[in-house]
Amino acid sequence: MRQFYESVRIALSALWANKLRSVLTLIGVIVGVATIIAIVSLITGMNQYVASSINSLGATTFIVEREGIITSEDQWWDRQKRKKITIADLAAVQQGCENCETVSGRATTARTAKHGNKNVDDVWIMGATANWPQTVDFDLEQGYFPTEADDEHRRPVAFIGYDLIDNLFPGYNFIGQTIRLGGRDFTIVGNGKRRGSTLGESRDNYVIIPLSTFEKYFGTRRSVDLFVKAKSFETMDDAKNEVRMIMRARRNLSYGQDDDFEIFTAGDIMSIWENFSRGAFIVMIGISSIALVVGGIVIMNIMLVSVTERTREIGVRKAIGARKSSILWQFMSEALTLSFVGGAIGIAGGVLAGWLLSGLSGIPMGIELWSVVAGLAVSGGIGTLFGVYPAMKAARLDPIEALRYE
Amino acid sequence: MSQDDILIKTTDLWKTYKMGDEEVHALRGVSMTVQRGEYLAIMGPSGSGKSTLMNLIGCLDTPSQGNYELNGRQVAQMNDDELAYVRNKEIGFVFQTFNLLPRATALHNVELPLIYNGTASEQRVDMAKRALEMVDLGDRMMHRPNQLSGGQRQRVAIARALVNNPSLILADEPTGNLDTKTGLEIMNLFDRLHGAKNTIILVTHEYDVAAYANRVVHIRDGKIEKEERGRRVAA
Repeated sequence: MRQFYESVRIALSALWANKLRSVLTLIGVIVGVATIIAIVSLITGMNQYVASSINSLGATTFIVEREGIITSEDQWWDRQKRKKITIADLAAVQQGCENCETVSGRATTARTAKHGNKNVDDVWIMGATANWPQTVDFDLEQGYFPTEADDEHRRPVAFIGYDLIDNLFPGYNFIGQTIRLGGRDFTIVGNGKRRGSTLGESRDNYVIIPLSTFEKYFGTRRSVDLFVKAKSFETMDDAKNEVRMIMRARRNLSYGQDDDFEIFTAGDIMSIWENFSRGAFIVMIGISSIALVVGGIVIMNIMLVSVTERTREIGVRKAIGARKSSILWQFMSEALTLSFVGGAIGIAGGVLAGWLLSGLSGIPMGIELWSVVAGLAVSGGIGTLFGVYPAMKAARLDPIEALRYE
Repeated sequence: MSQDDILIKTTDLWKTYKMGDEEVHALRGVSMTVQRGEYLAIMGPSGSGKSTLMNLIGCLDTPSQGNYELNGRQVAQMNDDELAYVRNKEIGFVFQTFNLLPRATALHNVELPLIYNGTASEQRVDMAKRALEMVDLGDRMMHRPNQLSGGQRQRVAIARALVNNPSLILADEPTGNLDTKTGLEIMNLFDRLHGAKNTIILVTHEYDVAAYANRVVHIRDGKIEKEERGRRVAA
């Protein structure tokens, strides 16, 4: 045991004595391990972000949209050509779908919001039916959400987010005040809780008005997104099918034709993300494997040089009583010390890189313990695998030859 | 001379090397006996086989033919691990080029044989300290070899050779890398060790060094040519 401690001490002092050579030796292992740590923590962070974003949708809600989830530019152009979904479609679904508990609608655009001489640019304007809060997770703070009566009468009332409060009404009461959107005045009736920002974008820069008011003031060119809450998780598929049938009938689609609209759930979004992250994970494994193998080969080379440089020393150790196994373990320990030091630096580097990338790109980051353990295990494996050959060479040296070595 | 007094007994030692198609006989039947407490020198020119004999006596190698009994053990048929054990316990090597670990302290260098036989830490340090005191280096234990003179380095090597209480001290040209004055100091140290009942075998090609021994064995062409008493021993 003492011999192991000895070898570790020797290896560490050799590493420290020649820092540049050590860094060059360990670069492969450092990069390999750092890649594992950084990418796993970014993927973990994104998983948490996607999951929490989707959570607001709820397990029994699905969305009916014209565009849906887009994965290529061609797809976007094609889908823009489709018929838009209208309030009439919403009414038809509401009436015809038995398994649907709530059917709400939403249309969106962006405008500048003004109050007095202050304004906020690029505000996300959402026209929604009064029952929309029932279909998504919703946090009311003060006042109330536009009602069915407001919707029926197309009243110019607004439910605002915190960016507008912070910029247009800092520190004073805003309920009852007016804001100007797209040249029209709206009365503020309520606001939502602060949500913060993700991926660098603020989630508090919105105004919600009744859907019919939206169509009155901003036209009917925008497609309406339907948010449908099924009666239960078990009946969600039935609800989706009913909605699909109703929509297809309204658009006179024949049996062989594809849907010209999209129906998807939180689960669908999650699957697409999972496909992507699986791909990223595989790429990561590829990169780090290459780096680790290269790193292992470099360690093996350095160990071989070390064995040659210390041939005399090995001869002396054998002369004073070291057995083959002692010499083998001595050099294996040195190889393992090398690779574990590389692994430790790689872990630190990976955490740092992940943190930097996260700060720069806005992608959240979450460090997973298993990736750190994997990093250490992998370093140990590389040290063992690539240290064996030099260690055996050292152990097999003939003491007489070794003692004569210049 | 009882059996117990005999430390080394070689019987008809041969060592043969294959060089391509030819066989080269480095030793051609060497038989000799060494008693406990003897001070012996082995002399011979280059190629005489004295290094080969030294390697066999030091258990660094095994003979192609013949027997070698060391301190009651039959060594000639031992495997690598057994030889390593014998080297550790029975033999203390002293080399011409000292062969210390350059980045370790004197104390640690002397401890090394004890590490290889699993001696416990405290005991090890005690034994190493005593060995260093025996060679008058008690005050330089924590120095590294590059902080020591040639003579001091050789003394550390001698302390290392002594630390395990070996049956035999085997010195190969111990003064070869030292100046005359320092060489004298080292030979005086060997005298002291011999006086303390250690068995010493010197291998050298210098008469001045061999003269310190009580008995000189001359080797030539793989055989013992003659033996004589050391010059200092009274006739």
